Amino acid sequence: MNLFPSMMAQVVEESFFKKVPGPGLYGLLALGLILGIVLCLALSRVPSNMRRWVIVGFTFLAGLPYVAAYLWPTPVAADFQTEIPRNGVEKVGFFLNQAMDPVGTITNIIQGFLLGVGFYSLVRIHYTKVKRRQENWGFSIVLLTCFVLMAVIGLWDWQMRTFVDTTGALNVRDNWTAVNYIQDFLFEGIYQQMDSAMFSMIAFFILSAAYRAFRIRSVEATVMMASALILMLNLMGALTFAQGNAIESLAANSNNMFLMNFKINTFADWLRSTMQIPAIRAIDFGVGLGALAMGLRLWLGLEKGGVT
Amino acid sequence: MQKVDRRVLYGILVVCVCVGLFFPSTIRTDPDPSSKSFYAAVKSLPQGSTIIVQTDWTNSTRGESLGHFENLMRLLMDGEHKFIFYSAADPAAPQVARTVIARIVAERKEQGLKEYKIGEDYVDLGFFPNAEATNTSMGANLKAAWAGRKSKTPDGKEIDIFKTPVLAKVNKIEDCQMMVVITASQSIDIAVQRLAQKIDITALVTGVVGPTVLPFYQSQQIKGVAVGLKGVYDIEYLMEYGINDAEIEGRKYVTWDGPKVDKVEQGTRFSRGRQYYGTLHVALALLILAVVMGNVAMFAARRRKGEQV
Amino acid sequence: MFNWLEGQQYLDTGWVGVFATLMVVASILFNIRRAEKGGKNLFIRRIAGLNAIDDAIGRATEMGRPVLMVPGIGALDAISVQAVNIFAQVTKSAAQFSTPVRLCCASAAVYAYAQEVIRDVYTEQGMTDRFLPETVQFVSDQQFAFAAGVSGMIHREKVAATFLLGAFYAESLIFAETSNAVGAIQVAGSTQSTQTPFFIAACDYVLIGDEFYAASAYLTRDPVLVGSLVGQDWAKIFVACTIMLGTLGLSAELTQMTSTHRSGNKMVEVSESSEGKRTEERKKGADTVVSRIFKPYIPEEMTKDRFTREKKPVPEGAEAGGE
Repeated sequence: MNLFPSMMAQVVEESFFKKVPGPGLYGLLALGLILGIVLCLALSRVPSNMRRWVIVGFTFLAGLPYVAAYLWPTPVAADFQTEIPRNGVEKVGFFLNQAMDPVGTITNIIQGFLLGVGFYSLVRIHYTKVKRRQENWGFSIVLLTCFVLMAVIGLWDWQMRTFVDTTGALNVRDNWTAVNYIQDFLFEGIYQQMDSAMFSMIAFFILSAAYRAFRIRSVEATVMMASALILMLNLMGALTFAQGNAIESLAANSNNMFLMNFKINTFADWLRSTMQIPAIRAIDFGVGLGALAMGLRLWLGLEKGGVT
Repeated sequence: MQKVDRRVLYGILVVCVCVGLFFPSTIRTDPDPSSKSFYAAVKSLPQGSTIIVQTDWTNSTRGESLGHFENLMRLLMDGEHKFIFYSAADPAAPQVARTVIARIVAERKEQGLKEYKIGEDYVDLGFFPNAEATNTSMGANLKAAWAGRKSKTPDGKEIDIFKTPVLAKVNKIEDCQMMVVITASQSIDIAVQRLAQKIDITALVTGVVGPTVLPFYQSQQIKGVAVGLKGVYDIEYLMEYGINDAEIEGRKYVTWDGPKVDKVEQGTRFSRGRQYYGTLHVALALLILAVVMGNVAMFAARRRKGEQV
Repeated sequence: MFNWLEGQQYLDTGWVGVFATLMVVASILFNIRRAEKGGKNLFIRRIAGLNAIDDAIGRATEMGRPVLMVPGIGALDAISVQAVNIFAQVTKSAAQFSTPVRLCCASAAVYAYAQEVIRDVYTEQGMTDRFLPETVQFVSDQQFAFAAGVSGMIHREKVAATFLLGAFYAESLIFAETSNAVGAIQVAGSTQSTQTPFFIAACDYVLIGDEFYAASAYLTRDPVLVGSLVGQDWAKIFVACTIMLGTLGLSAELTQMTSTHRSGNKMVEVSESSEGKRTEERKKGADTVVSRIFKPYIPEEMTKDRFTREKKPVPEGAEAGGE
């Protein structure tokens, strides 16, 4: 079993969250599995009037490690992997800091499972459309075909690169097989290009939005349009350079340095640093406080909206 | 005229933008102060520094981010710095970065410059899900955050990343000299929140993200930032002419109040930025024209209705 | 005796951050309690975007077309939950007029959550049969695939109103302009300050910044939510006062002279002049108390020997075969 030493090497030291592979670990894995199944069964039998408390309880537990790690004294200058805590308070600090990684992993695993739920929704809607020959069912066939094709070819390519090719030969195009070419064509040739195309379409939308939105209807709209124009002009280097030079020579000739304020660059800088940046900071403060309040309400189960 | 068919506007845009791409030209400009700070910060790193590169862009924003990433690679390779790259935003980002690095390495090899090798001059860490957790643990314990990651070596083997020459002397994040975030999203915010007290951060961001990054630049939480396509061209311009360095007709190309910052002597300087910058001018001119036309149309319509303008 | 505040986050003046957060938390909780007890009808200023919800649904009902709702493309976090909560109110109004709704998700977790919430709304209204598989649907977790899918839906179903609330990125303008092209009323709000300008340019009604978080309190007038909103306002006043005091303090301090400057986590002496005379300089930003409050100064001697710990024994075989 030559995998064993390399796995051992990764587990530098045992902690509550990391066990050296061996009977102890396998026992814990089995115990975890059994507990998980029992928990799932128990949860599915929870009466509906208890549902709210189950959700509130789980939400509280999920948020607790982060709050505790934020408030509990974090051991100073500590290496959580290799050092031994000096006292009880540090012990808890070590435990909480070591917990951050596994808690993040649990979230990722749950998100992975939820992707299955999303996948089910997508397939169900489009399968029903095709089956009942609803309007635009042709598009649904295209979607389902692409879905299957991409998944199969992607997994096949991954399997070849990970398990079959151990020397890294497939990193060179000359050694590719048909599967690798098809994967490259689907991912690089189609998907990535369509992604870029979708993004570049924003240019068109910006143009039509500019045509229809920046109208001088009110004082506010006029101010907004004027500042937008100055910032757009500032991006045109050739123009700002020529205008800047003209202003500089005018200022030098007339010996009036006040004129320098009329350089587009200077004006745009002023707009950005005096108007835009403080406004963004203010909005960010508001949004941050809003998120904190929302997070707090969710964590403590005060938010009624989402929980039945 | 109040309602011009969208397709007409779109057609004009396509034609104007495409024509611009065929005539790349060096346009005299005055780089933004934030771009100058970025260039000066990277150029002032001692030769052979270790740089963390967080590359959070994919092909969708390559119009801006590709130019930024290429410029960064050329600058780092010119200073013979070692670098580590990873993404904390998109699983596709590391692959996009790998492709670009391979191209820049080949380009520099052809130009007779030092050939960068994986595992020796740079390390590829791949993708980390959850930017917040990643950046937090990098700040708390770099070795734990990157534990278990392997790097390829020039001879095709795999070794632990902390045994490569790039990271051999790095134990904590403070042992690296700079972190550069190339992003099209707000992953830069997270990096600043979690790491700005431990390492100098600089950024290369898209035009849309730019405004949210400037507050960090103003408060010196990041040492420099190049924004959007203008930022790409700014950095290329600075690579070509330096700051307080190259002269034309007795005047410096680029000036600032700070000390002289050398231009880049070898390798490619002007690239994507120069290619696209003319087009940006055309597109912006068209945008301004659209705004003007929209207003003219509105006033014309009002007049027709007999309203007082 | 062990000092309980001897944690990394409390060293030097770093405790200010934790203390400020706790102050904000306390003000929010206090006001929630106050609102629950008092039950007074607290005033919330008019938010145009939220008043437009009923108009938009009315229009959709008249035209017999669906209402589209998108909670952004972010993961399941406070933003998405808030967006879905607002959508629950929208759905409630729509259900009363039997107007169909479409809620498109880019995150599977948000999808699972939204499905529960929206189904509950229909159940509450006694219209379980109107909750169809396509009422809440997962489209794609890839940004532009999602954008393409949703704009296709806007075109095909000719939606009468779109609600774009949540964390949006580059796709914001695609949705807003596509909706405009089919003549839909758009109500938008993003917590991303990068996207708000696009929404302002292209949408009919926009919630700016934390108006987004005020929305559910505004729509439901639930004491908990209204109280929390008042708490946020207290916190905002607290932040504004801190900024004012900080600015004044910093300005006063920067005029003083000093012979030492802070460089990273060290203090360095001002260099001597050629005649060996030490010159004083003005304080720099990093030397000030205000700067130190938010950027703790932990000299090495403070942590060097005080926190030495024993090393754990390395298990056998751990160093072997690492490559």
